[in-house]
Amino acid sequence: MCGIVGYIGDGQAVPILLESLKMLEYRGYDSAGISILNGTLETYKMAGRIKNLETIIPENTQGSIGIGHTRWATHGKPETKNSHPHTSSNISVVHNGIIENYMELKERLIGLGYEFKSDTDTEVIAHLLHFNMHNSGEKCLLDSLAETVKELVGSYAIAALCADEPDIMAFARKNSPLVIGIGKGSNYAASDVTALLKHTKEVIYISDNEVGFLKADSISIFDHDGNSVSRNTETIEWTLEAAEKAGYEHFMLKEIHEQPTSIQNTFAGKLSELEGTVTLDELYLETDEIKRLKRATIIACGTSWNAGTLGKYLFEKLAGLHTDVETASEFRYGNPVLCGEELTIAITQSGETADTLAAVRSSSSYGCRSIAITNVVGSTITRESDSVLYTRSGPEIGVAATKTFTAQLIALYMLAIHLGRIRGVVSANEARDLIVAMKRLPGQIQKILNRKDAIKECATLFSDKRDCFFIGRYLNYPVALEGALKLKEISYIHAEGYAAGELKHGPLALITDETPVVAIATRGHTYEKILSNIKEVKARNATVIAVADDDDTEIEKYVDIVIRVPPSHELLAPVLSSVALQLLSYYTALARDCSIDKPRNLAKSVTVE
Amino acid sequence: MKAVILAAGEGKRCRPLTLTRSKVMLPVANKPILEHVINALVKNDIQDIILVVGYEKERIMDYFEDGLNFGVKIEYIEQKTQIGTAHAISQARQMIAQDEENFIVVNGDNIIGPDAIYDLISGAQGDATILTCKKDDVSNYGVIVAKGKRVKEIIEKPKTLVSHLINTGIYLFRPKIFELIERTPISTTGEYAITDTLQAMIDNGMDVTMAETNTEWLDAVYSWNLLEANTIVLSDLEADNKEGKVESGVNIKGAVFIGKNTIIRAGSYIVGPVIIGDNCDIGPNVVILPSTCIGNNVSIASFSYVKNSILMNDVRISTHSNISCSVMGSNVSTGPNFITEEGKDMLIQIERDLLSAEKLGTIIGDDSEIGGNVLVRAGNMISANCRISSGKTITEDIPTNSIVI
Repeated sequence: MCGIVGYIGDGQAVPILLESLKMLEYRGYDSAGISILNGTLETYKMAGRIKNLETIIPENTQGSIGIGHTRWATHGKPETKNSHPHTSSNISVVHNGIIENYMELKERLIGLGYEFKSDTDTEVIAHLLHFNMHNSGEKCLLDSLAETVKELVGSYAIAALCADEPDIMAFARKNSPLVIGIGKGSNYAASDVTALLKHTKEVIYISDNEVGFLKADSISIFDHDGNSVSRNTETIEWTLEAAEKAGYEHFMLKEIHEQPTSIQNTFAGKLSELEGTVTLDELYLETDEIKRLKRATIIACGTSWNAGTLGKYLFEKLAGLHTDVETASEFRYGNPVLCGEELTIAITQSGETADTLAAVRSSSSYGCRSIAITNVVGSTITRESDSVLYTRSGPEIGVAATKTFTAQLIALYMLAIHLGRIRGVVSANEARDLIVAMKRLPGQIQKILNRKDAIKECATLFSDKRDCFFIGRYLNYPVALEGALKLKEISYIHAEGYAAGELKHGPLALITDETPVVAIATRGHTYEKILSNIKEVKARNATVIAVADDDDTEIEKYVDIVIRVPPSHELLAPVLSSVALQLLSYYTALARDCSIDKPRNLAKSVTVE
Repeated sequence: MKAVILAAGEGKRCRPLTLTRSKVMLPVANKPILEHVINALVKNDIQDIILVVGYEKERIMDYFEDGLNFGVKIEYIEQKTQIGTAHAISQARQMIAQDEENFIVVNGDNIIGPDAIYDLISGAQGDATILTCKKDDVSNYGVIVAKGKRVKEIIEKPKTLVSHLINTGIYLFRPKIFELIERTPISTTGEYAITDTLQAMIDNGMDVTMAETNTEWLDAVYSWNLLEANTIVLSDLEADNKEGKVESGVNIKGAVFIGKNTIIRAGSYIVGPVIIGDNCDIGPNVVILPSTCIGNNVSIASFSYVKNSILMNDVRISTHSNISCSVMGSNVSTGPNFITEEGKDMLIQIERDLLSAEKLGTIIGDDSEIGGNVLVRAGNMISANCRISSGKTITEDIPTNSIVI
């Protein structure tokens, strides 16, 4: 999950590459580098953030062709020698992905006399490319790249330059994202569109097993067999300012604040409270198919998996559909029993999560219908699934997912109500109550945001703690999981989310006066049960923070601090509690002076397996 | 040229609406007052904007972001404590280069048209220029005493009538103003006021001039003045744009704007000027009469009647309600048969002052939840986050976070 960029045109490449790399920094940020072609090839690279790289590039570096890279280490430590681009003589390569057979290729190339300078898998691509160019007669860069990628096993998005062909940039893709931006007299390549927004909104998504090259004024794409491919351009609706901080200290806080809007955009035009219906025109599932469904499998990773766990309760309650939630990286290597009457629901913010993509491919191969819930129009998952529900949240830059999580929940609510209405499980009246509650969420979230100072005070409780537990029951269990994930990923406090009833089966042994417990205790049919769980931990001297309804006057008798959320429908309350917990994590990380938008060891879009 | 917009203050006199957002974010014709100001600058080719923010700054940042959607480039700077206009302006010092010829300062909480900015730029001369306009009643404003274009004195809220020219709070300065601000002493009210800086400049013989405008300059001093400003701005509404869905059997007359994904259901009757935002669900059989603005994600259920009112985002009105000459904050919800009584020539008590309102129903702060069969007697306000049980008659102002049982 590194980020790659490329530029070819009539302008100066260095500032454009650096600017684009900064937009991709969320994909990885342990080292960075660029190569510029101006007669000869000049390469600069450096461990650390892109601002470190800037300091070593001479100010007068000229050249209008270049490639760049920001790295999240997979093979080889984050050191300058392992930074991309990697070179072989007058060839330079940047790569995102993992080459699985690199050891074997490396040994072969060493046998041929190539000298390796790094520990990375990428360097084999550079040398192999050089070998193929000069091995049997002279070949052009494009043909050599096509030949090279046929020898690679694994995933890659590659951009390559060669000083012998000073007017082209070659590229190739398999299982790693690559998008081409079309400008006026200039063309661009990047791992995702956020890097291109400043320059163009006209893009072409490259498909798997395609290779091609860019010139300043043209784009050529070829398939695996060397046939020319023509591709329509797509127009990106995102605006650049959405990808900038606009006065906020961190993207995460900005994105938390965007939730009233992102939720509204996600349900806009789809809800009718009068009729009690959710209209999902983008769903290509016949009524008969929906009625016949036997089971649903939700496949996701990380925060999306937490959303999926809530989805399970929703599909079972509202649509009467047996639902399993699978971790994508486990599902694909397990032995899924599928017969074709299951619905696969893949949840991935980026639409590029490698494990989720592979899992969807495997379930599709059994003939299962698939629905993707994603935030990125045109991403790989949208091409691999039968139907797509978009979370219309705009780009999310903070590594910790916030607005896309709540928007994923909205997509799941809408899907569950829609399926439930068709399957006759939910009445129009019940659906209407849910729709009204859903439409109230933007205003209620704004209310939580208005009172964030109270949560900020509460956060000081955690800032010096080492461990913390989040507990919840039923729909609040996924909220506890997500609350714990948010806290650990940005504040580095060890946090566990537990189904409250599970505490006494083990973790209760860890509760002391030094382990704060966050209990999600909004009203619902498990309210009394969570109160007893709160008493259990209170009896072990834990400090208890409860997330509870505004008008709940009872809870304060049992807990130390109450974080208030506006009362909502029992099924919808998790959205509001999640927002409150996002703020709690944010302010805790702030108090601990952590790098909130770029937590250590993590990257946003996990496009490696 | 750069412009510094002062948007850090709360606007206490517009409470309860400003309890949760600053005055610059109050909507007039469905746009925050600040957006009207930015539009006026854009029309004069001023795109570099420095927004001095403070109170509830997130609301401003969430809406305007980096300004790209509004045709400008916005830089935010925070004024941590609101201790006067001069102090607010000085926050922008590092963003304005010493070699820039001049820059504009404008209040974010007054509605201005593009001509006002044009009049300032074209009429500017000397070391600093104040934009003035004529008002009949000047008792609430700073008044300018001038000889020709040269300003002699600035008098705050004069007790006796000395001039009809009031200070609009819009200025054209040169960067050297920052040094002069540094020397401005704190006033008796505990603030660093830019008018004190200007008065000191005048006293030291510097050339402080005025430019005059006779275009619209609207100041919503109290919350109910929003309704008057709304009426004035809406009277220019020409757009007859219907992006949303209008069912058959709906009657629409005059200029009516209907936002994206909004549905107007059968039997409704709408007389413009009216603006309805995105994602609203109106009707069936709802009547909306002139000078009404409705925000985004608002629902108005059947047989309700809305006249000359502002409904902010996420408001929910149940069936058989009558809302007249009222402002409802965002996320307010009402039960069936909610009635606002409309009063004329009202006297409203705010703290110790008795103020007059020409026409007023009620003002309701954000997040309040009102039950069914509630009647609000004219001129009584309900503050933010209140809960009112069904069947109540509201005959006095209801303070913040109240529960009325």
